[in-house]
Amino acid sequence: MTEGRLSLYLRENGYRLAGRVYLFLGFIFLLLPITFLILFSFQRNVYSSLPLQGWSLQWYDKLVEDGVLFDALLNSLYVSPIAATAASVIGFLAAYALNRFVFPGRILTATILILPILIPPLILGVSLLGLLSRLGLHGQLYSIIIAHTLLLTAPAMAIIQLRLAQMPPTLEEAAWDLGANELQTVWRVVLPWALPGIAGGWLLAFTFSFDEFIIAWFVSGFDQTLPVTVYNVMIASHDPSLNAIGTIVFGLLLLTLLGAELLIIPLFMRRRRA
Amino acid sequence: MANESASAVAGGTVADLEARGIAKRFGSVVAIERVDLDVRRGEFVAIMGPSGCGKTTLLRIIAGLERADAGTLLLRGEDIGDVPVHRRSTRLIWQDYSLFPFLNVRKNIEFGLTLRRHDKKAVRTKVEAVAELVHLDHLLSRRIGQLSGGEKQRVAIARALVTEPEILLLDEPLSSLDAHLRIKVQSELTVLQRELGISFIYVTHNQSEAFAMADRVVVMNKGVVEQTGRPAEIYNRPETHFVAEFVGANNIFEGRVSDTAAGTVVVDCSHGTVQIAGHGNRIDRGAAIELVVQADKLRRRLDGEDGLNTIRAVLKGREFTGSQVIYYLETAQGVEVKMVLQEPFTEGEGTEINSELELCWAPEDTVILGHRDARQP
Repeated sequence: MTEGRLSLYLRENGYRLAGRVYLFLGFIFLLLPITFLILFSFQRNVYSSLPLQGWSLQWYDKLVEDGVLFDALLNSLYVSPIAATAASVIGFLAAYALNRFVFPGRILTATILILPILIPPLILGVSLLGLLSRLGLHGQLYSIIIAHTLLLTAPAMAIIQLRLAQMPPTLEEAAWDLGANELQTVWRVVLPWALPGIAGGWLLAFTFSFDEFIIAWFVSGFDQTLPVTVYNVMIASHDPSLNAIGTIVFGLLLLTLLGAELLIIPLFMRRRRA
Repeated sequence: MANESASAVAGGTVADLEARGIAKRFGSVVAIERVDLDVRRGEFVAIMGPSGCGKTTLLRIIAGLERADAGTLLLRGEDIGDVPVHRRSTRLIWQDYSLFPFLNVRKNIEFGLTLRRHDKKAVRTKVEAVAELVHLDHLLSRRIGQLSGGEKQRVAIARALVTEPEILLLDEPLSSLDAHLRIKVQSELTVLQRELGISFIYVTHNQSEAFAMADRVVVMNKGVVEQTGRPAEIYNRPETHFVAEFVGANNIFEGRVSDTAAGTVVVDCSHGTVQIAGHGNRIDRGAAIELVVQADKLRRRLDGEDGLNTIRAVLKGREFTGSQVIYYLETAQGVEVKMVLQEPFTEGEGTEINSELELCWAPEDTVILGHRDARQP
């Protein structure tokens, strides 16, 4: 009786079931490495291999004692938001100018702004090192901010431009017609319209910068961002506290996402319902 | 400031807007060849024409969104040709309303009042007064996305009116509403305009809108004004071939003047002679002219009727539109004839398709157009 039911169920829902299994396996493939990273950050094992040797916070202790990776994380949390903000501001202004005005050299300007993202990071890194050191701006945290701003303006601008391209041209005209000058119109009409694009561009730029290794490696000095420090720690020795810093970063990102979901989205929903 | 000057002068006789010799081209395309336009204070003027005739460009020039290549533009006697759009006291209503989607109704309406230093309480009072005027008071906290087409349009009007404009410019504001709502909004707009006493310049390609609302209609084509006049004048006495063709159902016959004796003009047309009574202007014998007969002035000739113009034509098709029937006919010489009747023929009177009918109209109902328009091929 039960067997008959099962085969009936499979005949009716077989494809759906297969799809679910496939999806499940896909998620496992994506999430398993992170799960292991978190698991072994709380284990006594020196090497990430079974069997488990018992729960411990010793790698977190080591993280705080050494301080190198921790400082690097703080550096990253300093560099990336500033670079992302600078890139978003420049990206917005450039996107607006390219969208609104027809001027000689318009295509050239757009190309130059997009170019950094097309140049291989290795070449960009080397040339930035040469340039910044000649200007006396190398080897500092702000060197990375400058380099990242240059790199990230292109993707931020691209996303903001997508949003601005959807803006009906009569929207600005309506603001002028009602008595707003150019500046007021940009501030009170174009900016609110572009805001979802700016937020998206900022997030993309932030993640880009937070992850970026090659250019940061070239232009940084003793103060390094997290990816560069992780690399340096890895080539120097085997250190399980890398698992611990990985877990902390993952936790931070998860909290940010959850926070966004719990705080910001209901805010939008409520405004819409009101 | 708009109100002080408005109340100081009695409405109707003073010019609100005078446009002289306005011309505009975009690259090699001529949008406006040369246009003169006068709008008296408190007048409802409709600018009517097909798409591409330059009517929207003219409106945008008045609003300050485009710069005329030539001509002068006087607003209440003051030259505003060099005044930038945000300093002009004209307000434009867009076809798609152009509301700010990220602001609610109240914030949209108060936009124009909050650009300079302002008293918050005064703004609130003004916004609420205007909202009441256009029946939006219960929707002030709504988001734009939650409004219907008619409500959006009222927000657009409120947003413009709250700034006390001297002239309201409307660019096909009814075209995105459905037919039922359009009739309602038409009468609302007319009432509103009478109440406010400010001039409306209303651009449309729809003659029924223009005729229903406007005090005066300006018909434009290819960047020039073809005719200006009261709706009835435009309808009954078209002056040019274009106006006759554009305004509703008109029959246009070509002919040559053969006699001008005793107050009637006799014209030889391809289908026979036509008599025209009550024509004031002098007209030369032998001149080539065009005649207009409105389709609803035609009817079937009854036996024994005399003194009427007649035309024989073959029935080619008919169209039932609800309140009336349109008959399409063709003369033996290949001239198309339209006839509009309030009631259809009764069956079995020899009115099948391809049967020949004899139609007639009164000599007084014939209009002579100006001599053949040079621009017509």
